[in-house]
Amino acid sequence: MPSRQNLIGLWLLLTGLCLVAGLGVLIWLEGALQPSPETRPLLWCLGLAPTVLSLLVGWQLERRLFRPLRQFQVLLARLVASPDAQGDYPVDGWLQPLQPDLDHIREGWRQDRVKIREAHAEGAREAEKIKQELEALLQVLDLPLLICDRHQRLLLFNPAAAEMFHDQPGLGLGRPLSQLLPHPSLADAIRHLPDDGTPHQLLLPGEHHWLRCQLRRLGAYHGGALITLQDTTAALEHDQRWRRTLAQLLPKLRGHCGSLNSATEALLQVEDNPTFKQRLESAIEQESQALATQVEQLTHLVEAQQLSQSALEETWSNDLCSALKAQLLQHQIRLTPIGIPAWMKVDGPALLALLQLLVRQLSSLQRIDEVELEVLLGNRRVYVDLSWDGIPLSEQQLQQWRSLPLFDEPLSPRVEDVLDQHGADLWSIPPQQPGEGPRLRLPLPASGRGIQPLQRLSPRPEFHDFSIADLPAPSGDLASLPLQQLEMVVFDTETTGLDLRRGDRIISLAACRILNGRLLADDVFDQRVNPQRAIPPESTAIHGLKDEDVAQSPPIEVVLPRFRHYVGDGVLVAHNAVFDLLALQLSESGDQSRFTMPVLDTLLLSRAIDPSLEGHGLDALAERFDLSFPPGTRHTALGDARVTAELLLLLLPRLANRGVRTLGDALELQRQIEQEQHR
Amino acid sequence: MPHVLVVDDEPNILLSLEFLMQQAGFSVATAPDAEQALELIHQQCPDLLLLDISLPGMSGFDLLERLRAAEATRKLPVVMLTAHGREVEKEKGMALGANDYVTKPFSTRELVSRVQALLADTQQGG
Repeated sequence: MPSRQNLIGLWLLLTGLCLVAGLGVLIWLEGALQPSPETRPLLWCLGLAPTVLSLLVGWQLERRLFRPLRQFQVLLARLVASPDAQGDYPVDGWLQPLQPDLDHIREGWRQDRVKIREAHAEGAREAEKIKQELEALLQVLDLPLLICDRHQRLLLFNPAAAEMFHDQPGLGLGRPLSQLLPHPSLADAIRHLPDDGTPHQLLLPGEHHWLRCQLRRLGAYHGGALITLQDTTAALEHDQRWRRTLAQLLPKLRGHCGSLNSATEALLQVEDNPTFKQRLESAIEQESQALATQVEQLTHLVEAQQLSQSALEETWSNDLCSALKAQLLQHQIRLTPIGIPAWMKVDGPALLALLQLLVRQLSSLQRIDEVELEVLLGNRRVYVDLSWDGIPLSEQQLQQWRSLPLFDEPLSPRVEDVLDQHGADLWSIPPQQPGEGPRLRLPLPASGRGIQPLQRLSPRPEFHDFSIADLPAPSGDLASLPLQQLEMVVFDTETTGLDLRRGDRIISLAACRILNGRLLADDVFDQRVNPQRAIPPESTAIHGLKDEDVAQSPPIEVVLPRFRHYVGDGVLVAHNAVFDLLALQLSESGDQSRFTMPVLDTLLLSRAIDPSLEGHGLDALAERFDLSFPPGTRHTALGDARVTAELLLLLLPRLANRGVRTLGDALELQRQIEQEQHR
Repeated sequence: MPHVLVVDDEPNILLSLEFLMQQAGFSVATAPDAEQALELIHQQCPDLLLLDISLPGMSGFDLLERLRAAEATRKLPVVMLTAHGREVEKEKGMALGANDYVTKPFSTRELVSRVQALLADTQQGG
């Protein structure tokens, strides 16, 4: 389309021509026709009409056609250059009827673009996720691995490989593999790897170590190979040590057998020569003794070899307890695990056999059929304590047990072998307090997980606007029950946020049970809940739970009746119970999930006991009372519930010292503290 | 009566073997190490040597090598005795020129029969 200036110029030129032509015609008519005064205006009107018409037509064309066309042009350019820019120019004039269609086209295009962008972002996210997962996998993979291309240049090495070759400058992306592992056999093996991915193994001698390599052709575009490495130096050395010892022992055994054999044959043939007979008998005795010593050494070697085959592994104490419990039940012995479970590093099968043997010995020695097992976190060690109602064990007794074989079979490892394997021992601990039983302690290596420093997270603020004392009074029977005898369910919730009255919801609910003053180790309720709303990132930062973690979990309407069922006739306990209880009550949906039982609050009880101290949050109290959260369990519902339970068990004797012995006493104390706070 | 020299560092086995070989009709001399064995070989010219591999100082293999290198003892029949049951040692002994090889523990009857067979072969050959 011509420019606006050109159009205006053309229009003015046309109008000017019309004007000049009209004036020329008028002057000519004036001269030729000599019009009367009456006809002159009409003549002038006719002469100037084309000029006026040109002006009007031009103006209308500009207003109704050319300007809308220019708008349309801008619109198109804008749509092309910046399709998502807002503030569109509307078209008017004669193009106005096109506006709805234009809008439709424009919106359709924009929507398509959004869809493409979303699909692209989704694809990128998925790819990024896979990449991150692969990277994470490579990061944590203990097995050193390398990937090289068809030219044997390094394409990838994981941190385990970096650690293995930390002192070798040849490790670097793009570098020839031969700089790192200068073994012609390796280069040759990679070149001749079969295309079907069949692995090929090589043992490469290094300066100080032996590397076992597994090579595999990768079906990737680069046509390279995956090399996994294993430093077998220690294993080979161990193997060699064992073989060497065996190789030294066997000839001696053969030699003594040979001497014994010959001496016996000679003895059978000798007749009247008492001196020689005596010499032969003495030789037989010496050889027999030497043989016995060698056989003993061989036995030790075999036992040690048996145990060295099984490495110490991370084991969750509860798993071990469950297995032990089931095994002992077959012998009519009831094992009750108590306390907080922990990770430990043990040879599970050997330890299980050891514990079973100890408990059975204990049971038959002291005629008991009930034993408690508690796992305690010590300094870099985990103590497995067996306690029972009886008398303490003597060191002499333990000494006798140390030499017992674990299994009723030849060459079985003995108790002391398993203890040695764990760097452990057996200690007898007499009762520390009246009413407590004696203990048998096994110190075992703690898992690396058990001694990780705790991550400090911001504590949940305390709430004080809800009075525990407003709850219905407990029944007379319950109120008069000693606290030590109460069945208590200690619970905790994790929520989407702290504003429960404005829509924050439970996302995790967990509890554990205290029965007769003992925390039951394997009696737990632990359930994630779908809050049916998004979990804010600031909340995730506390408890680590994301939307996807609870997406498959049941809603609170399903979980709450289950939890109510779990609580049974127990009394509820929580730290800052007002918050957790409110979370429960706001979720109550029927009689099946009503929580009208008495509730104890360790926060209020702690304040009541130590009113002058500051800091009654769970972290502060855990630190004050040296209670440890198993790693990674702080700000998990179960982790916090367990520590709250431990805290309550610590508070109970201190409450008793202050005359607070029954549930009624404790509730009254809580009520007083609440009243003081409201004053 | 064939004369046999038994070389072993274990006094108990020397005691029994000496007696058993005598019972089987051989005259027997014993030596606890290779040096004494060499001396006795030169003094007594035994018809056969029962030689243990693991000897203190000079090993049974060393002694065998020396015997095979010397003209006088090149053909002396040697039965190696060993507490190592490894095939490779047997091969080594045979490669160095041993005539037979017996692994401990052994039955004396078998040992005697091998010694007798070996002596018979030597006599036929010589």
